[in-house]
Amino acid sequence: MSDTTITDPGVSEPDPDDGATLDEATDGTTLVDEVIPTATDGSRSDDGLDHLGLAHHTSTGLSNTKLGMWLFLGSECLMFGGLIATYMLYRNRQGDAIGPDQLWDIPFTSASSFCLLMSSLTMVLAVSAAKRHDDRNTRLWLITTASLGGLFVAGQVYEFTTFYREGLGYTTSLFGSSFYTLTGFHGVHVSVGIMMLMALMFMLSRNKVAGDKAETVEMIGLYWHFVDIVWIIIFTLVYLIPA
Amino acid sequence: MAIIERPVDAPATDGGPAVVATPSSSFGYLRRPVQTKGWRSWAFSVDHKKIGIMYGVTAMVFFIVGGLEASLIRAQLARPEGHILSADKYNQMFTMHATTMVFLFVMPMAAAFANYMIPLQIGARDVAFPRLNAFSFWTFLFGGIFINTSWFLGGGADGGWFMYAPNSTTPFSPSDGVNFWTLGLLITGVASLAGAVNLIVTVLNMRAPGMTMMRMPIFTWMGLVTQFLLLFAMPVITVALFLLLFQRNYGATFFSVQDGADPLLWQHLFWIFGHPEVYIIVLPAFGIVSEVLPVFSRKPLFGYPFVVFSGAAIGFLGWGVWAHHMFASGLGPISVSVFAVATMAIAIPTGVKIINWTLTMWGGKLYFSTAMLFAIGLIIEFTIGGLSGVTHSVAPSDTQQTDTYYIVAHFHYVIFGGGVLGLFAGMYYWWPKVFGKLLSETIGKWNFWFMIVGMNMTFGPMHILGLQGQPRRMYIWTEQRAGEGFFNLAFWNLVSSIGTVVLVTGVFLFLVNVWHTTRKAPPAPADPWDARSLEWITSSPPKEYNFERTPTVHALDEFFHRKYEDVGTGDQHEYKKVATGEDVIAEEVAHADAHIHLPSPSYWPIMLALALPIMAYGVIYHTLLIVAGAALLIGSVFGWALEPSTAPESDFDPPSDGGETSKELAVHV
Amino acid sequence: MSSPTSRTTVGRVNRRARLALLAVLAAGVAGCAKDAPQDTWQPAGPNAQKIQNLQYPVFIIAGVVGLIVFAVVGYVVWRYKDRGQAIPEQTHGKPALEIGLTILPALILIGVAIPTVGTLMALNKTSDTQCVINVTGQQWWWEVDYPVQEGCGGVSGVIVTSGQMVIPVGTPVLVRGTSRDVIHSWWIPRLNGKRDMVPGRVQTNRIQADEPGIYSGQCTEFCGLSHANMRMEVIAMFPDDFEAWKANQLEAYTSPEPDTLAAEGEALFVSQCSRCHQVNGLEDADGNPIVSRPDLYEYAGAAPNLTNLMTRNTFAGSSFNLLIPQCYPQVWDAPSDTVGQEYLKGVTPECLNSVELREWLRNAPAKKPMYADPTKLEPTDGLYRGMPFLGLSEDQIDQLVAYLLERK
Repeated sequence: MSDTTITDPGVSEPDPDDGATLDEATDGTTLVDEVIPTATDGSRSDDGLDHLGLAHHTSTGLSNTKLGMWLFLGSECLMFGGLIATYMLYRNRQGDAIGPDQLWDIPFTSASSFCLLMSSLTMVLAVSAAKRHDDRNTRLWLITTASLGGLFVAGQVYEFTTFYREGLGYTTSLFGSSFYTLTGFHGVHVSVGIMMLMALMFMLSRNKVAGDKAETVEMIGLYWHFVDIVWIIIFTLVYLIPA
Repeated sequence: MAIIERPVDAPATDGGPAVVATPSSSFGYLRRPVQTKGWRSWAFSVDHKKIGIMYGVTAMVFFIVGGLEASLIRAQLARPEGHILSADKYNQMFTMHATTMVFLFVMPMAAAFANYMIPLQIGARDVAFPRLNAFSFWTFLFGGIFINTSWFLGGGADGGWFMYAPNSTTPFSPSDGVNFWTLGLLITGVASLAGAVNLIVTVLNMRAPGMTMMRMPIFTWMGLVTQFLLLFAMPVITVALFLLLFQRNYGATFFSVQDGADPLLWQHLFWIFGHPEVYIIVLPAFGIVSEVLPVFSRKPLFGYPFVVFSGAAIGFLGWGVWAHHMFASGLGPISVSVFAVATMAIAIPTGVKIINWTLTMWGGKLYFSTAMLFAIGLIIEFTIGGLSGVTHSVAPSDTQQTDTYYIVAHFHYVIFGGGVLGLFAGMYYWWPKVFGKLLSETIGKWNFWFMIVGMNMTFGPMHILGLQGQPRRMYIWTEQRAGEGFFNLAFWNLVSSIGTVVLVTGVFLFLVNVWHTTRKAPPAPADPWDARSLEWITSSPPKEYNFERTPTVHALDEFFHRKYEDVGTGDQHEYKKVATGEDVIAEEVAHADAHIHLPSPSYWPIMLALALPIMAYGVIYHTLLIVAGAALLIGSVFGWALEPSTAPESDFDPPSDGGETSKELAVHV
Repeated sequence: MSSPTSRTTVGRVNRRARLALLAVLAAGVAGCAKDAPQDTWQPAGPNAQKIQNLQYPVFIIAGVVGLIVFAVVGYVVWRYKDRGQAIPEQTHGKPALEIGLTILPALILIGVAIPTVGTLMALNKTSDTQCVINVTGQQWWWEVDYPVQEGCGGVSGVIVTSGQMVIPVGTPVLVRGTSRDVIHSWWIPRLNGKRDMVPGRVQTNRIQADEPGIYSGQCTEFCGLSHANMRMEVIAMFPDDFEAWKANQLEAYTSPEPDTLAAEGEALFVSQCSRCHQVNGLEDADGNPIVSRPDLYEYAGAAPNLTNLMTRNTFAGSSFNLLIPQCYPQVWDAPSDTVGQEYLKGVTPECLNSVELREWLRNAPAKKPMYADPTKLEPTDGLYRGMPFLGLSEDQIDQLVAYLLERK
């Protein structure tokens, strides 16, 4: 420590960092080289790719986009939480109008839920293909995922029009308002997911995806799985548990 | 300006001719903006520093708007049976005053500091998602403008800033004001959420080598906790706002009591957001003060780990106290007890900070710059606000205090005395770094004292007014309820209104200081305060790329340790200055990076941001606008996604002066 | 970095400012209004007293803590000013001290929490109440009704009034309240803390007055345009005065003498006012009792019940006085042994504040902000939320005033 100009004066308690000793740090290169390559003259330079936030450059080991997606999904949990809470409060308040027991067609909804569930499987397969740089199968599985998602949305649309005809409109009752708002928000999220999948396929085919392609597919996969998990919760609470 | 290339052995230069590149289009939509001067270099910038400055200027403008609204309120309440504002205008005025101050001033001003300083404090060149950062700013600006157009389009929102249902539904608030409020806050909410994701990823992923979490500057830590609070609180108010929007515009019945709705649903959703919101407001100010006090005491922050953990504890506990805003709403004694005790618990980590700040100064070498005065002012004023908060936590007592001026006193002491004083400390402290000039200390001290005296004159009497029975949100008060004696409620209302004049003068003096400094002050040194943290290892103002090379961090208060060496023996400590700030910077310059790539400016963030208010106007006026806005939104999203974050070199033509290759552009801001 | 003169100037200013702050604090504590009607620190009943017993020591603790913090900061700011000393010891903290100073406030707060929860539970008790009075808030006035019951000394018929709630002294009263439109809040500070009146729910509040008197209150949940004009009072009186009051309220309706101004007023009232204002016992031409807006309201119309208007001394959400300034102190400032009797006198023709009443009848929306334009109230099915402008002539106003004076 004596021949450097950097010392840690007068601490009255152990150094509050996470275990790296000062010796390691002052050496300069130990920590650094794991993260950023050094130029041949010994000066540190960023290799021009820092701003892409690729995984091996970051302190957490997760790329910027993947970490960003996880955080965004965390906030979405709260949003769906609020919508679900509203629904649970109002699920029995249909007044004289039609109620959940008379409306649900569990077999049908199970079938469309199954489609969405399978789409998560195909999404995993797409990510796996992307990691293997198997472009053809990546595209195949992405299309399948989007199609299954589209089937789910089509099923929702059919269901809602049926409910509407049977007497449950958006403004009919509290039950109606909260049901359509919750499932509507979910449906919009699925639709946005389908659009992202198709855009991804397009960009992959034109080689317009910057950075790590597999990671971009994986990031969209995270979103897709989240949307699926939310549906599982909604399906259970709204459809399966009797009012 | 996207690429900075220097020959490896040449030092960084400043000056040199500005060269504007003319890129070919990146995808066939639009050319890349590359202007380095003029309004376009701001409108399409993705540089966190420019964005930070824009946040700050905009927030300051809204501060003045909110202050005008407050002045009108106090003018109306200076005398009994006031005639300055009608009941309707008064109700709009206090609603918009609070909304403007909370959402359009304090939060964005904190965002200004976070955006500018966090990357510098962690040794990064920019944030994780620079275009998203620009998008956040423009969205906030357009949202703020959108809400305020309500003044000219039928009247501002008039339901109070917490907009309780069913009073906020159409039968009871028939004008479009509440619609503007709802949609405007949805828009600014998007900005906050995007900013939160951005800054969290930045702090977690982009710290300089050697900067562990417990070596981060405390402002960055408080900023991180704040962003987590934003991340999880914004979605909840988003749900509440959507429910209200659908109720008002599309016939939903969420708050229609005759259909069986429970009005308390709004209150719960709002306050689950609303309580973390107040920590979102105050934690950045706490962070600033935790930077300022050590620098001007010439000692490190006392108990850094405690301050960090107490900040995280506040962020965590803040989720469990929301119903203390609802003590009189009929929750039942068990719920009320739980929330009362939780509220008392959260006073503990807050109190810890006061202790730590005071002990930081203890034994120090205190220099009373204006920034330091504001920081000390915060300790005193926030203590007052915090203690009155503890008296609210006693729920039976709160049933007498809630909805009276005693509450108004409490939150102004914590928001103004806590949040705003902290932000002003930050402005005086960091002004030389951001703008390259020192704000005048003389005018600064007048600024400070007018604000302190003004705030105590304005908000101090409100404690008395509230405890003696004056409710809040009253457009008039009467002699009949004012009591007898010289010091009756009439007297204190008048004192409070006069205090507003003093306070406004203080704020005006700040603007005078800015004006004077811009015109007259000489350039500031790089390290005017002999500071301790990384952001000072830059020029004043910093270069566009921030650091000549990414610094390596060996300890907390890295900059301090590069300047001072302990030459004492054994247990004796004696600190000798071995390098000035300029020396440290020169060292960095000597080892400057050869290639620095920065993210490129872009049109898409501002275009995407523009789509949101268009859609919002569509909800109020015509569905066609929603479609038009949605088209712009989708188009902008695709343009953004298809555009690489850094323009490839092929995007740049050879420079017009016939220089070597496109690689040899050296463009300076 | 600093000049010596500015440092000492600042130091002097610091000290002066701290003294000034202390002076202001002292003035604040000392300088309060005497007898502010809604003072929360002057309990007049056991519920408010329980709250006071809790909040008084808490305020003292908070004050002491505050003064300690100010003293320490003041000391530090003076003692450790830069007087040329060396760079100080770079202490990073003392965990023992910090932990200790965390535990200390925690202990204090536990000491505050325990009586808080105890008081909360005690205040929640309503099983000992002996009198039930219903309160319904609506924009922007309070309806008060006494259901038939054995409590309150026996109520044989429903009593409906507005704005002023009369209770017997020393009797615990259960106020049960709700709202017909938005959330209001019922608050009589000297008797108890407030309770929100939420549409769709019935909430309770226990009040008891130790002494006869007039206790003022206000709506304390923002409820729209005239939230500031939504006030109420509780009048506590001795039990025999209360019996007299009840009996008077339940007296049968007497029409005015024929061919008097008041008789013309009655006819005008039927045609113009009875749509919204209920007067019990009023009959239409066929002899059927007139009930205002029966589809909506059980007892009153869309507006206060005026059967016994002149037994109260405020009107329009207790925003305006029915008594002229000369008569007002006789009732409002009466000592506790006579206030009941003074109140029971009601409003006599000599004491009537006809200026206020006539202004109101002439143009109500100009006097109190209300949504009274029927054309704008389509979303509420044309419900007026306030009294509209009726365009009455001065003669018509004379008739109405004469009629109303007899409503006692």
